[in-house]
Amino acid sequence: MQLKNVIESPCGLRFMLDELELQSGFARRWLLDSPMMTSDGEIAASYAVLHRFADFIDRVDNIHINTLSNKLCGLKDIRTTIKNLKHSSVLDDIELFEVKHLAILATDVKKLLDQHQMDGVVEIPALDEVITILDPDGMKIATFYIYDSYCAQLKDLRSQMRQHPDQQDDLLLQASELEEGVRRDLSSQLAPFATAIEQAQLALARIDVCMAKAMQMRRMGLTFPDISTDGVSRYEAMFHPQVKAALATRGRAFQPVNISYGMEPTLITGANMGGKTVVLKTLTLCQLLFQFGFGIPAAQARIAVKDEIYFCIGDEQSVEKGLSSFAAEMKNIDAVIKASRMNKKLLALIDEPARTTNPTEGAALVSALLDVLAGKDMSLVMTTHYDIEPGNARCLRVKGFENGTMDYQLVEVQDGEVPHEALNIAQSLGIDSEWITLARKRLDVTAASTVDYKH
Amino acid sequence: MLPFIDEILRYDSLSIVGLEKNTGKTECLKYVLDRLPVQHKRIAVTSIGIDGETVDQVTRTQKPEIVLREGMYFGTSEMHYRQRRLVSELIDVSDETTSLGRVVTARALTTGKILLSGPSSATSLRRWMSEMHRLDIDLVIIDGALSRMSSASPAVSQSMILATGAAYSANMSTLVSKTAHVVDLVNLPLTSEDNIRRLLPLEKGVWFIDKQGNLNSLDAVTSLSKDIHFEGMENCETLYVAGALVDGFLEKVRKNRSLKQVELVVRDFTKIFVTPQQFRLFIKAGGRVRVLQRSKLIAVTVNPTSPSGYVLDSDTLCNKLSEAIQLPVYDLIKNNQ
Repeated sequence: MQLKNVIESPCGLRFMLDELELQSGFARRWLLDSPMMTSDGEIAASYAVLHRFADFIDRVDNIHINTLSNKLCGLKDIRTTIKNLKHSSVLDDIELFEVKHLAILATDVKKLLDQHQMDGVVEIPALDEVITILDPDGMKIATFYIYDSYCAQLKDLRSQMRQHPDQQDDLLLQASELEEGVRRDLSSQLAPFATAIEQAQLALARIDVCMAKAMQMRRMGLTFPDISTDGVSRYEAMFHPQVKAALATRGRAFQPVNISYGMEPTLITGANMGGKTVVLKTLTLCQLLFQFGFGIPAAQARIAVKDEIYFCIGDEQSVEKGLSSFAAEMKNIDAVIKASRMNKKLLALIDEPARTTNPTEGAALVSALLDVLAGKDMSLVMTTHYDIEPGNARCLRVKGFENGTMDYQLVEVQDGEVPHEALNIAQSLGIDSEWITLARKRLDVTAASTVDYKH
Repeated sequence: MLPFIDEILRYDSLSIVGLEKNTGKTECLKYVLDRLPVQHKRIAVTSIGIDGETVDQVTRTQKPEIVLREGMYFGTSEMHYRQRRLVSELIDVSDETTSLGRVVTARALTTGKILLSGPSSATSLRRWMSEMHRLDIDLVIIDGALSRMSSASPAVSQSMILATGAAYSANMSTLVSKTAHVVDLVNLPLTSEDNIRRLLPLEKGVWFIDKQGNLNSLDAVTSLSKDIHFEGMENCETLYVAGALVDGFLEKVRKNRSLKQVELVVRDFTKIFVTPQQFRLFIKAGGRVRVLQRSKLIAVTVNPTSPSGYVLDSDTLCNKLSEAIQLPVYDLIKNNQ
């Protein structure tokens, strides 16, 4: 799975990508094409590199950071040219220019990083020979043409051109044959470096991405995660950057939450508007950010690596696809169950399953889902409004509505009993009082006639 | 040296705009390029719009290549770069692709011929120009096309020359009045600096600023929409049309009592597609039109010959037009002979 496949996930990954200040379009494409990491070692190695860049931007003067950023701005996508070089085609002037430009850029970036004890953090192949081939006069500037010094005859023709403009067309024709010979020569000299040039281009993209990630960490207050090996993921003061930014524009603060989950199912209950969906979104976002090597929006994070990540949320787009919301949801959860039998480490985050059907069948579906997924090699975090027997599930509850304000913290409770705060919350929203009062009366009647009604 | 060459050198950018094909825009560009002092000025040339063919597809007349002098910088498409007939050094290859490939920037190492076809969007043109100024170019020249299709506008340049002629209208008095109308539009004054700062980034839609200084979007997507309403706009001080300004819209603004005092702002003169009559009515009724970007109009050139072969009297045309617009008017083709 590549980053571009999950970018539109409703967890808000796109926001993080949009907030990433990449210098080159090529780095963005490279990043979107990068596969999700699924091994501890790979993720650890990627964070080790990012650590070096975070340290680099912290200790090095801004002038150097800006110089590096400006240089990375010049990174172009020259994959077609590299392919032509690999196939021993004769490159034209524009392609030769691209190769020279990249070689000089890579050399400059390498030099700058080496000067600041960043040598070898991202390996950039040396391309000095490439530059020598394309810079016969040793000018060290990233411009190019078929230089006079490649061919004495060409030099002669060109000086004739300047002296006899009237014969220009004829002279140009003669020169173009000589130029073509030079291009053929240069192309065959460059061909052995095709792989090194390709690696340099990828290395520069990687540096651009690492710089952008490191800057984003500092700007958004993200943290480096630890890799959990016992299957338990634990977050302290976790937040959702997009929701936080949206609240900030309205002058409100995001209340960070602490949460952990392991290999037993975790059930989150809580009042409406208690932030349960945001918790699931943030957990999904954090897991994806972790497995694509980004900073994590939390004060501290310890995360277990998964093979596959499922985020099931009531999806408004299902109507466009011609499915009812119930059908779409069932199909999504069905995919989780099927995957759970495939012997892979899963993380499934399911928001209020079966919410759109009647409470009797809905509660039955949710209880049964817990049973079906119990004991599988997976972490499951699920929110619900239904009163169900938790079985082996761990239960978390949003603290909820107290003294007119919402406390979004999660507390561990012993059973899955759901809070009955819907009417209070509706009242606080200023909803029509006749409606709410009538609803209360009905509840009272039901309570009086039902012995085992829970408070 | 004709006087306007001196004046051109006072600005960092010049666009040459033809009011119609075959009004002598290319002759004007050649004329300017031939006379600029390349020995001590760094000059860069490009073209906006994508009129790439060597033969004009519409009128079948020859579309000449431009002769660049040694040392001049130029921006053109990859395709035309490959067809160049001069020796040149590549400086940059942009990321933006036009229908003729990416835009490349190079410096002429010998005198020779090139077809120009440069950036085609407003953003890429602006980026190209600032890139040129970063390379210490003294003067950027834009071969400007007036096109509804291209968002790149010649009005981003500091100065401008308009090319008009018999191809625009073969009737002399019509030609003079139509040209005078365009000159009026080019000369429209700028709106306040505060408005420019706030409105320039808005590239589409209709917007208004109320007396409290709040910027509001009007739900109409463009001013072309038929059922545009100005309800609840008694408080409106500035009305901004980011896209094309057309007759219907201008008329609605004129007839709306609550918009009597409003300042109507358009991006630049190239976005105004109203008839001279409708425009005059609006101004007569006390309306004000302002722009976000404008160029100083230096001169107008005329080509008295139409593509069909009809020829107007050059001297009479120059005199009449000059009188109407209060600016110097030149027939470069005649002066060149």
